[in-house]
Amino acid sequence: MKLSSKLILFITSSKLAVVLLFIVSLPFLVDSIVSEYTNYSLRRQQAKVINVVHKNGIDHYLQGDDSYGSYTMLKEEYIALEPAAAKTLIDTIKTAQRIVERDTLSYRILMHTFNFENKNYLLEIGKTTASINQYNKPLQRIALYVLMGLIALTLLFDLIFTRVLIRPLGKIIKSKLINRKFPFKDYSPPVPTSTEDFKYLDESLILLMDQINEAFEKEREFTANASHELMTPISILQNKMENLLGDEQLPESVVLRIVEMMKTLSRLKKISNSLLLISRIENQQFVKSANVQPSKIIHEVMEEISHRLTEKELKISISLKEDRLLKNVNQDLLFQLFYNLINNAIKYNVNHGSIGITDEFREGKNYTISIQDTGIGIAAEDLDFIFDRFRKANLTENVGYGLGLSIVKSITLYHGIEILVKSKVDEGTTFSLIFPPSS
Amino acid sequence: MKVLIVEDEKTLAYEMEDFLKKAFYICDLAHNIKDGLEKIELNSYDFILLDLGLPDGDGLSLLPKAKKYNPDAAYIILTARGNLEDRIAGLDLGADDYLPKPFSLLELQSRMQAIARRKFNVKEELLVLGDFNVDLQKRLILFQDNQIELSRKEFDLLSYLFLHNNRVLTRMQLSEHIWGTFADDDYDSNYIDAHIKNIRKKLNVWAPTDFLETVRGVGYRIKK
Repeated sequence: MKLSSKLILFITSSKLAVVLLFIVSLPFLVDSIVSEYTNYSLRRQQAKVINVVHKNGIDHYLQGDDSYGSYTMLKEEYIALEPAAAKTLIDTIKTAQRIVERDTLSYRILMHTFNFENKNYLLEIGKTTASINQYNKPLQRIALYVLMGLIALTLLFDLIFTRVLIRPLGKIIKSKLINRKFPFKDYSPPVPTSTEDFKYLDESLILLMDQINEAFEKEREFTANASHELMTPISILQNKMENLLGDEQLPESVVLRIVEMMKTLSRLKKISNSLLLISRIENQQFVKSANVQPSKIIHEVMEEISHRLTEKELKISISLKEDRLLKNVNQDLLFQLFYNLINNAIKYNVNHGSIGITDEFREGKNYTISIQDTGIGIAAEDLDFIFDRFRKANLTENVGYGLGLSIVKSITLYHGIEILVKSKVDEGTTFSLIFPPSS
Repeated sequence: MKVLIVEDEKTLAYEMEDFLKKAFYICDLAHNIKDGLEKIELNSYDFILLDLGLPDGDGLSLLPKAKKYNPDAAYIILTARGNLEDRIAGLDLGADDYLPKPFSLLELQSRMQAIARRKFNVKEELLVLGDFNVDLQKRLILFQDNQIELSRKEFDLLSYLFLHNNRVLTRMQLSEHIWGTFADDDYDSNYIDAHIKNIRKKLNVWAPTDFLETVRGVGYRIKK
């Protein structure tokens, strides 16, 4: 999950939790507030009643009766006065049932005894609890609406703010990691941000990539220079040996030794040339501007290589669509690419084996050419390394110098061709070249 | 034929000189541009073999001036740089051929002969090879008036051996000549043997091929 989604999810859920808690506890809150207020107003009424009793005298209310009672029309409130036994002292507020005109109702009742002209009286003031709780529901509803509105509003702000806050991170990921392909040749400027952490991350990435680039550049330069520097001494040795061989007086044993030396030297030459070729491809010294038919290139390769089929009596079948055209490629490199793959298919094949070259193209899909052999195959544990320089599957076989597939890899990388290998020991290997849609 | 070798690596220059002298070329040596230009100014050469990395500059810079003094000479560029731009630049400046180092002296001579045929219109008589006649220009091999069909590679192989007659050519040298950089890494493979076998088979129909000798453990030779 993305960081921004996580943040928004967390903020939203924490806010919702708080609001729900508040809404759930609202009745209790309202209850306690209202009962506090009721108690307070009952006490005020008590004070007022005692005040008027003192002013008007108790008889004004009792009017000869034993007790006095008054209630409002809907029985929401009542006040009662009655004489009480002497020395009784009551001063409470409680909720209790009272019967008023045959209706049993629940009241919040203040009971208070007071002395007036040496007589003890009990004052009762009641309020129906129904009238007390009437605010609860609407209050809850309104609170819910208001809070939801507030949450929506703050979420909108949060969303905008986190987006602005996190945007540099997205830019760093996009410009430094997703869109950049090795080698990181093009300069990618630092992403402007005022967040220290992002700045640090961005700078570290730039530094890291520069370091990788530098190391890669050095290795490439070294390979190019080393192979180039090797060429002159190899030239001298080769020409000296050639001149030696031209001497007809040489005994046969010496001639044979010189021939062996020349073979060794030729290996050295081949390795240097291959390394130089790889470094030239990596240096992008080849122009990719040719449009060629794959069937034509493979035909040319076969012309060069078909004599090698006879030794093992290999069968080859080529079935390629004539109308396909590979665009913006380097013809020499593609020749080399197919040459190396077909050469391997021959070299690692078994007697009376076969080689199949097929292609596949469906509208909307990439064009694929596969080269399949019935050779000795590559062990699964070696598959990951076959493109590495100087690593060779099947180390017991003294063939090849481990650079053919490295050249293949660098050519495919240079052209944006994806290469897939499927192989089973003793059954054979299939190399598939998946060409990018643009070509 | 007169050849000027412009090459700063002296050992290499001497080896080239040694080889070409044996092939009856007259050689001059120069080890830098200045020296080379002086010699070109004073003498007239048929071939100028030009190294590119010279101590006092790029060999390519010598080409235009050299062409003024020696417009008819054939220029062959020899370089360890071997990149495409140099090759194109060299050919654009009027070089006749281009050999990347390390090259075989046999290959150099073969290229020089090809240029001589093409550029100087050297009309070689029909070459005699046993009972056969070879026309290098038309790439034909004849027995009396009968033309013998050889594949392109077979003809290349035979004419290379013929050019360097009396010299044993190794399988590797022959491979490198006909397949160039695509020669197999495995020089003990018998691809060359297969080609030689085919050549012998095709020629033996008409006449014996004793001139084409197998040298055990080394390669092949055409004896004249």
